[in-house]
Amino acid sequence: MNIDRVLKFELARLNVHLPEQRISLRDALSSKRPGVKVRDGGIHAFKRGELDFLAKTIPEVDWGRLYLPILIALDPKLGRGAARITGEAEARAISQILGKKGKEELLIYRPEVAIIRRKLPTTTQYFFVPG
Amino acid sequence: MAAVAAAVVTPTRMELLRLRRRVGLAQRGHDLLREKMDALVIEFFEVLRRIRDARVGALKQLSVAYRALSTCSAAMGTIETQQASKEARHELEVEVSARYIMGIAVPTLEVEKVERSALARGYSLHTTSSLLDEASREFEKALGLLVELAELEESARAIARELEKTKRRVNALEYLVIPRLKATLKFIMMRLDEMERENFLRLKRIKAMLEARA
Repeated sequence: MNIDRVLKFELARLNVHLPEQRISLRDALSSKRPGVKVRDGGIHAFKRGELDFLAKTIPEVDWGRLYLPILIALDPKLGRGAARITGEAEARAISQILGKKGKEELLIYRPEVAIIRRKLPTTTQYFFVPG
Repeated sequence: MAAVAAAVVTPTRMELLRLRRRVGLAQRGHDLLREKMDALVIEFFEVLRRIRDARVGALKQLSVAYRALSTCSAAMGTIETQQASKEARHELEVEVSARYIMGIAVPTLEVEKVERSALARGYSLHTTSSLLDEASREFEKALGLLVELAELEESARAIARELEKTKRRVNALEYLVIPRLKATLKFIMMRLDEMERENFLRLKRIKAMLEARA
């Protein structure tokens, strides 16, 4: 049936905005035009102001460990509106911005997602976790 | 609904399994698309909030700039001011790139330097007043804010288009596809149960007949 094909296509299309490869904050800071290549071939650019903000937020030791864009994983299993941040440096940076405690994995909710997206619109991206 | 389902599907165990798989896929798609819709709503309201602030800022700055221009025209003369504006350089380097929000490419405009020095503007400094410099500076500031506003408005348009599309799909899945699939599933299950009951009765009757004969 056609609906199945449309649905499969939609599900496959959900994550096309994700980068082929993420780059570290250190590389992004030293790059002339910081950005990453996304799966559908385009270039996703990072704003210099956001990179500077992140550099000020986390200690210099973490610049090489923080990979951009930071992925905000939306998993239906977590419940509506809940999101997960994975990666030690990433979770630390986000928890610092939100004033929360988080180690390797951080669970955030819709109002916090909105705050993060407001502060880091180009250096964070949504990632839809297929069930 | 059951009559429609009966006309379309054959009530077999194979069909039941296939339908269960399809319901699972539709449910998963619905959950993910609803997450996407929620995220798009967050983005949309955030962009709207920024547009509101940016518009207020830009209008304020434009008002300051036009006031400065009026003062300049009054002091220098309208014709001289227009002549100076024709002499001025009109180019502005804008770096246009894209950022991706859930597959939507929204433009990112970055201007290296909107505010120029009096010499870089291109008009003659000997024949013009410092009021013209002042007016130019205010307009350059306004231009920077207008570039930011343009980026935000285009983002809002792109997000709204995608939001509309996603909402339509979520609604179609929630109110049409999934209920129809579930109704068909129910029909097949009921039909299979019915067939099982018929079979059981048939066996019972055969057994009774055999017992009566013996």
